Amino acid sequence: MGDREFADVAIIGGGPAGLAAAAEAKGAGAERVIMIERDERVGGILNQQVHDGFGTKVFKEALTGPEYSAIYEDRVNERGVETWLKSTVTELTNDRVITVRSERGIETIEAGAVVLAMGCRERTRGAIGTPGTRPAGVYTAGAVQYYMNVSNLAVGRKVVILGSGDIGLIMARRMTLEGAEVVCVAEILPQPSGIAGNIVRCLEDFDIPLYLSTTVVEIHGNERVTGVTLAEVGPKMGEKKGTRRYFDCDTLLLSVGLIPETELANALGLAMSPVTNGAIVDESFHTSAPGIFSCGNVLQVHDVVDYATLEAEKTGIAAAKYAMIGELPETNINVTAGAGLRYVLPATISGGDAIDFTMRPWKEEHDKSVVFKSGGEVLRRMKMPHMEPAGMIRIRVGKGRFKHVVNNEILVEVEE
Amino acid sequence: MNSTIICTVCPVSCPVDVEWTKEDGVLGIRNHLCKLAGPYVESELFDPRRLLTTSIPVDGGDWPLVSVKTDPPIPKNLMLEAMDEITGVRVKAPIKVGDVLMTDILGTGCNVVATRNVKSA
Ligand code: SF4
Repeated sequence: MGDREFADVAIIGGGPAGLAAAAEAKGAGAERVIMIERDERVGGILNQQVHDGFGTKVFKEALTGPEYSAIYEDRVNERGVETWLKSTVTELTNDRVITVRSERGIETIEAGAVVLAMGCRERTRGAIGTPGTRPAGVYTAGAVQYYMNVSNLAVGRKVVILGSGDIGLIMARRMTLEGAEVVCVAEILPQPSGIAGNIVRCLEDFDIPLYLSTTVVEIHGNERVTGVTLAEVGPKMGEKKGTRRYFDCDTLLLSVGLIPETELANALGLAMSPVTNGAIVDESFHTSAPGIFSCGNVLQVHDVVDYATLEAEKTGIAAAKYAMIGELPETNINVTAGAGLRYVLPATISGGDAIDFTMRPWKEEHDKSVVFKSGGEVLRRMKMPHMEPAGMIRIRVGKGRFKHVVNNEILVEVEE
Repeated sequence: MNSTIICTVCPVSCPVDVEWTKEDGVLGIRNHLCKLAGPYVESELFDPRRLLTTSIPVDGGDWPLVSVKTDPPIPKNLMLEAMDEITGVRVKAPIKVGDVLMTDILGTGCNVVATRNVKSA
């Protein structure tokens, strides 16, 4: 048993969100900031995302994942954040006592503020409704991305991908470049789940077919996958008769979505959103438990890392403030998602600060507007030439607009 | 001519409306959220290129692989050929982000540059 350690701010997770939160918590004056990472290196998902497209908002240029990560790794080191690697948080209590297991044994940290930044994991269960045992050769896309880009292990020569999530699309390109044949991508929904840019650069560039409203109904092979049968589905996701098609392959990749890694949050009994699967937070990214904050993919799954970084930087500053002065702005104004939006975040605001709201629409829309309203009056209207569920929307509302809020309620809607 | 080109510089994927002619090039663009769309659309119409990213095995490093990119982006139709050139190359640690690991690949003037720090093990 080690001694009890004290930290002003403890950050759980050393991925893009954890790195940004740690750097800013330190920058905002927190004396001791400990960032706890279970892997042997920081960077999280960015270590395996060797492709480009990161940084256009923060650095105004497109960097690769490892380059983006290296910038923040340097920053936390320069600022004197303590990084605990190969360390797993086994318990977190409501009074912010953290139990950490590592090669050193079990240690406890008592923290003034805690930032949850554990990221997300890939959905697997329920992805394929095929009965029986599963032969070798079925992987999640993210696992294969790790094998190929971090561990240098090759996986499969002839590949079918189920689900058009971004990691699956990126792996379609990656495996094609490495000489594998990507037979097709099957998506059960009538529209792709991944962003439009990845459809272009990962599928169209290499003439890889994308079959929409299509899923895997049978996996063939005893020990190793030898092929799959695909079939089209109707509007209620039932199999359409007479649409079965067989494809030879030795590998099936699953790319059917990401969900926040919320074990710790659930154990704490935090108020959670059934839509994002993340915690419900206010404008400081403060959860329902005093001094516990949440940001990055554990809060809401992001498609643009820059937005996760910006969110985490704000969180890190708020956590440092909480640790030092013990209070945050009171947030009495409720923000609700109305017609056309799955959710909007944060759930409550003070009205004393500009807010970057993030949200996702239910479906693809063209030439509509996102409108912030209170008491029937429009506070802010943002024209949206194009929006789709795969793309998170981020809209800044200046604090001046909140002067006109009535009854402490803001409704955010999609309008003509 | 009017075309819609999806900007693929970042995940936002703006569907950029472009007015252009073969003779005069790009006359105007709309529906883009940032300045990076301009050069992208121009190149996509007249000289389509891609930033090719992959990894190269490293000897004696704290990572088995170093991630790399082509700098600048290479012509889109040379991606697979460039991969053939890169495959089989090995490098030695230590490596720093920005180190040039291969020069003038396929005579394109594009280099292959490290995107990850790999320390000596
Ligand atoms: S225009 Fe800017 S924001 Fe839009 S996709 Fe291109 S780089 Fe991203």
